[in-house]
Amino acid sequence: MALTTPTKPSNDAKVVAPTRPVKRRQFEATYLGFLVPALICFTIAITLPAAMGIYFSFTDSVGFGDYNLVGLANYAALFTDPAIIGSYSFTIGFALVTVILTNALAFFLAVGLTAQIRARVALRTIFVMPMVISGIVIAYVFNFLFSNTLPAVGEYLGIGFLKESLLSNPDLAWLSIVIVTAWQAVPSAMLIYIAGLMAIPYDLYEASSLDGASSFGQLKNVTLPLMTGYIGINIIIGFKNFLGAYDIIVGLTNGGPGVKTRSIAMTIFTGFERGDYAYQMANATVFFIISLIIALFQLRLTNKGQAK
Amino acid sequence: MNLGSSALSRPLRRRSFIASVMATGAMALAGCSPSDPRATIRFNQSKPEVIPYFRDLLGQFNASQKTTTATHEVTAGLSAAFARNDPPDLGCLNYNFEMARFQESGALSDLSDLPQQKTNAPFIKELLALYPDYPGRTSVLPYSMMGAAVLYNKDIFEKHDLAIPTRYSELLELCGELTDLGVTPIYSTFKDAWTASQGLADYSLGGAVDINQHFAALREIGSDFTPNAAVTFSKSFTEPLLKMQELAKFSNKDAANRGYGDGNLAFANGKAAMYLQGPWALPEIAKTNPDANIGAFPLPMTEDPNDLKVRVNLDLALWIPEQSDHKAEARELLAFLCQPKIQDAYNESALGFGVRTDSPPTKDPRLKQMQPYIDSGRLYQGVSTAIPRTIPFENYMQGLVTGGSVEQTLATLDADWARLAQRS
Repeated sequence: MALTTPTKPSNDAKVVAPTRPVKRRQFEATYLGFLVPALICFTIAITLPAAMGIYFSFTDSVGFGDYNLVGLANYAALFTDPAIIGSYSFTIGFALVTVILTNALAFFLAVGLTAQIRARVALRTIFVMPMVISGIVIAYVFNFLFSNTLPAVGEYLGIGFLKESLLSNPDLAWLSIVIVTAWQAVPSAMLIYIAGLMAIPYDLYEASSLDGASSFGQLKNVTLPLMTGYIGINIIIGFKNFLGAYDIIVGLTNGGPGVKTRSIAMTIFTGFERGDYAYQMANATVFFIISLIIALFQLRLTNKGQAK
Repeated sequence: MNLGSSALSRPLRRRSFIASVMATGAMALAGCSPSDPRATIRFNQSKPEVIPYFRDLLGQFNASQKTTTATHEVTAGLSAAFARNDPPDLGCLNYNFEMARFQESGALSDLSDLPQQKTNAPFIKELLALYPDYPGRTSVLPYSMMGAAVLYNKDIFEKHDLAIPTRYSELLELCGELTDLGVTPIYSTFKDAWTASQGLADYSLGGAVDINQHFAALREIGSDFTPNAAVTFSKSFTEPLLKMQELAKFSNKDAANRGYGDGNLAFANGKAAMYLQGPWALPEIAKTNPDANIGAFPLPMTEDPNDLKVRVNLDLALWIPEQSDHKAEARELLAFLCQPKIQDAYNESALGFGVRTDSPPTKDPRLKQMQPYIDSGRLYQGVSTAIPRTIPFENYMQGLVTGGSVEQTLATLDADWARLAQRS
């Protein structure tokens, strides 16, 4: 993970990564012993099922029994299905908004929590707590808050917009999902930022303050440029995770009101329990390719970050 | 395991590890060897409320058998079991669209020769016609039926001297009167999409449209279906769904924030006059208020009292997979479960209705008012059970009761149906 990124992040582009030692490592059974079991498990549990899924996306299978090959028919239907397109546009929009909100909050929390303040460690612990709670639990707790507590508060204080639950508002239900997802995702992003901030040498701040930089100037001209690598990683990882949104949505709105908050993962899953297996396998394949592109992008970014 | 922690013990450990693996394998083999005189059959039944009930029944069955042992399987979601060619030997599950896929693709064996099929009540044939069966087969045997209608608080009705409505106009009047009296007419729980769909939407549509006929016509059209076909959802459903939206307005103000549990609690405490839920809510309501005085009447959707019908579903149906190696034993268990004494006792305890011609009428006072409709075959199956679940019908109905456009929603539904028809 990026937590282990060395002290000097990506801005040092002039330095070229050292080439690997050319000497070929001797074949060692021990290494193989470590590698092979994991490889076999991964192949059986991940690669083979994925390959089978991709194969079935070219059939009309319902998950069992006989089936026929139908070529690209599922894919053709996919790209004209408003339900599928709707789930993609909702999910991508949601992921974009959430990733911005999460990173903005996480960054400023990290700056605050690395400053010389009292009870710093205790505060960090408190802020990290949402990370260790399971998503579905968080979703049900917030579901209760949105459905009961907030309307009651709104009623008591006479605040109009609070009286109706955010979850049942067709235009704003997505916002509740953004809020809850961000609440859960901020800590991990924050930890990465804290690690990054602590890696910035203190003498840079000293030098800049001698040059007369204000704290805002330091943030803008010292901290931010040195943090770009971390910000990039956080955005990519966050975006990829948010695209797979499932548990929090199920616990909050279950796709409703209507179909306003159906995510891609939820749509794919309907194929398993609702007998549209091959079609949703095609959807899953498309989603896999999108995730793969993002993952490759992330890999390039991390590799660049590690070059020193 | 800490394999190879010291070089000296390594060979020994490896050998003993292999030996233990082999021993385990041998034991597993012995477990399913043909020398075992008792055949083991797997009975799948996953309706949570009645799992202990069926466990007891299986105990009785096993005690009565010399050569067969039945084990109880409660896993839901059987697609994977069928995909692995490893389904249970006897299933006892809700007869819904998921089941229909198994029967349509021929995964279930023919049960048409069972003597129990001859005692099916006359309306069963029509109910089974909702889903296509494999050509020439009768794949399931109905076991228990649930009847659902408008649950109403008899005390509130008596207190204000209100009559049970039999026409749509009377229903609207009733709701108006209740509102004037300061009583919430209908308690709705639209936060849980399924409650909007199986309650208000199914009742509104079933009370106005011939559901079986509608879906038979759609099947006839098959993959030629387009939103301009002779029969469409837009053509048949617009009027009843507009009425449904009219009725939804008589719900509690916070209906959009309330869930199923909230509804049971509120209705048990007399917070509303009517509650559109099935009999499964009755035990939940009784937990809060064991003395709740509740009755049930069909939702009137037309001006003709002869159109009144109750919503039913085959809550449990028995089937034996084609892939089962123990069909004969499974049939023995089926015959055991279908003894009138056992079947009737089950229905009484589970608030179900009988499915045989000679089933006794329900004894439960809360369900009694539905019995005449069931006896005369005035019943329908919910639309929500007839639409493949890959189309998010529940969510569509939730959208409608909270103010969505009927016209747009039905256009979407027609388009969804057309796409599904083309690829299946």
